Amino acid sequence: MSQIMLCDKLCSVEDCIPGTGVYLRHGYIYSSLAGYVLRKNEGEELPVISVVRETETQLLPDVGAIVTCKVTSINPRFAKVHILYVGSTPLKDRFRGTIRKEDVRATEKDKVETYKSFRPGDIVLAKVISLGDVQSNYLLTTAENELGVVVAHSEAGAQMVPISWCEMQCPRTHTKEFRKVARVQPEYLQA
Amino acid sequence: MATVQVSEAEKVYILHGIRDDLRVDGRGCEDYRHMEIETDVVSNTDGSAKITLGHTAVLVGIKAEIGKPRPMVPDEGYLEFFVDCSANATPEFEGRGGEELGTELSNTLYKVFNNKRSVDLKSLCISEGEHCWVLYVDVLLLQCDGNLYDAISIAIKAALFNTKIPRVQISADDEGGKEIELSDDPYDCMRLNVENVPCIVTLCKVGHRHVVDATLQEKACSVASLIISVTHKGTVTCTRKVGGGSLDPESIFEMTEAGKRVGKALHTPLMKLLQEEESRGA
Amino acid sequence: MPTDTKRVRGPEVSQSPSLFLPDGRQRDQVDVRPVFVRCGLVSQAKGSAYIEAGNTKLMCCVYGPKETERKDETDMKCGRLTTDMRFAPFSCPERGSWIQGSQDKDFSLMLQESLQPAVCLHKYPRSQIEVNVMVLENSGSVLAHAVTCASLALADAGIEMYDLVLGCSIRQDGASYVVDPTYTEQNSCSSVSSENQGGLTVAFLPSLNQISGLQSDGEMTEETLTAGVRTCIEGCYKLYPVVQQALTKAVRRAALPPPES
Repeated sequence: MSQIMLCDKLCSVEDCIPGTGVYLRHGYIYSSLAGYVLRKNEGEELPVISVVRETETQLLPDVGAIVTCKVTSINPRFAKVHILYVGSTPLKDRFRGTIRKEDVRATEKDKVETYKSFRPGDIVLAKVISLGDVQSNYLLTTAENELGVVVAHSEAGAQMVPISWCEMQCPRTHTKEFRKVARVQPEYLQA
Repeated sequence: MATVQVSEAEKVYILHGIRDDLRVDGRGCEDYRHMEIETDVVSNTDGSAKITLGHTAVLVGIKAEIGKPRPMVPDEGYLEFFVDCSANATPEFEGRGGEELGTELSNTLYKVFNNKRSVDLKSLCISEGEHCWVLYVDVLLLQCDGNLYDAISIAIKAALFNTKIPRVQISADDEGGKEIELSDDPYDCMRLNVENVPCIVTLCKVGHRHVVDATLQEKACSVASLIISVTHKGTVTCTRKVGGGSLDPESIFEMTEAGKRVGKALHTPLMKLLQEEESRGA
Repeated sequence: MPTDTKRVRGPEVSQSPSLFLPDGRQRDQVDVRPVFVRCGLVSQAKGSAYIEAGNTKLMCCVYGPKETERKDETDMKCGRLTTDMRFAPFSCPERGSWIQGSQDKDFSLMLQESLQPAVCLHKYPRSQIEVNVMVLENSGSVLAHAVTCASLALADAGIEMYDLVLGCSIRQDGASYVVDPTYTEQNSCSSVSSENQGGLTVAFLPSLNQISGLQSDGEMTEETLTAGVRTCIEGCYKLYPVVQQALTKAVRRAALPPPES
């Protein structure tokens, strides 16, 4: 595995598909990081060429990315969250996001009540739908079966168990609380 | 910085025009816009000038005050620059919005005048190590329509030309102390030699060419510009790359050459104009 | 004819002592001071670098990308690069203050303008990358070395860049010049009457052959200026292998090569 410097010419665009850590100039692929070259064949005709460094370069939340976040506050119109992970990569810095009432679930959007969907402190799986504009932060959605609350604590302080797509139960007091529960995919459970 | 939004189509139009040496307002690549200079506009100052360049308007006032010379150079006076970006120019400057641009401009002005010949600083000395004239050059931006550097430098040159510093006499009193006496005659004053005061030329790189005196629209199409201050002899007193882009060494050399040529040509008509106005006023 | 063995004979060819600078460097040659660079001395920062050139010592830390503090339209597509350059109060012969003066702000701006062309800011939408430079000892050519140090810290932080940025200064003094001047050389002007008198700093992207920063003051003819820029570029190339070596070391320390796949 060869070590590569910044701005080294790697190959022509005709030989490889540019991956991460590289940029194109005049039909050639150059490295934009100092690191190691990685060539991957992903079933396509050309291998994907990337330059990597450490384990994973710093990711930023991007449109379409699945993020793990923590709810910090809620009000009737939206829930504010802190984005903690992008995919399985932890973020080093804090990024704030917003889940609007309309984006909580896919059906009966008008009947959504944020108080019955999230509580501050919940860990939520969500998807980025927009980077937002000047006023707002990242806009997130949980309007998919696989998205929603994954970890929540009851008022008694115990970690609750999901019992349906909209309810969770406290194992200590057996009280039921409303949440927009995620049906967690097995692949996420292993990670 | 006051900026405008330019669409892709407009950009292409401007770029293609400049490539063929024809700009949106009909100028060539090295032409200035219409310029108007007026001196002696504020009566409370020792020297003042107002300049309009296209829609850019700058007012410069110079006040001379007696101060203490700098310890490093006891036989010289000095100049102080301050650029105020008034919220009149653009609402962006409201509050502290114009502060950054103001410091940038004034820092550049210090660099432009950071040499021995621009202004004869020795003539500003009253008594060595004790008293000297300090010229406070205050620049006020009234309207922004691109090319602030050039407008400011021309306005400063005009204001310095206009500056009248009262003559002072130093007399020793009985105890050996010194006394500064201001001349009674208001017309008895000292003038500065502004022959060597440089003018700034800003060259904006647009596409593969560069333009002089860019409007805000043209500025929006350019990635980087080079400012060059040139004296009437063609000596360069300051250069600086501004903007977020980078430039080819060859194009920098080309731009310096063009800047020198344009800058040199700027001085003669300017001095002529100033002298004409002076004689008309008298 | 017997030679006079008692007399010490001078060398055949000799050069005037004024050709040499106090530290043994030659005038009118692209003779930069020996540099020492090292990456990753601040573990808390995303990336950091330290540079020592002669007695000029400075360090740089890079933080981010993190959420922007100031928001306006331009941040949506591109990231923002913020720079902050400060002088330690003890860095100069005269004690400075901790408060950032207008000169420091000017340096910060120059640094920002020199670095920005090299950073792939479009890969960091909605975020800002902070570059902090602290000058520990000012012994001349501070801005040039700050640029080099900051670009190295950015590379160490794994921020995507088009190229490294290297800085070099010269001091023109009459017909002769000094590359990478020291503090005293920078502020001295021996020949009063001469035409060419001034300082020049260039920031250069070596692989792309682009100048990202240029600043000069004093008085220079156009020819001198052009020659000066060329000299600075040459000076930058001298730094290039040293900086590359430091970066190679940093990459190797950060992670072992990934397994062959």
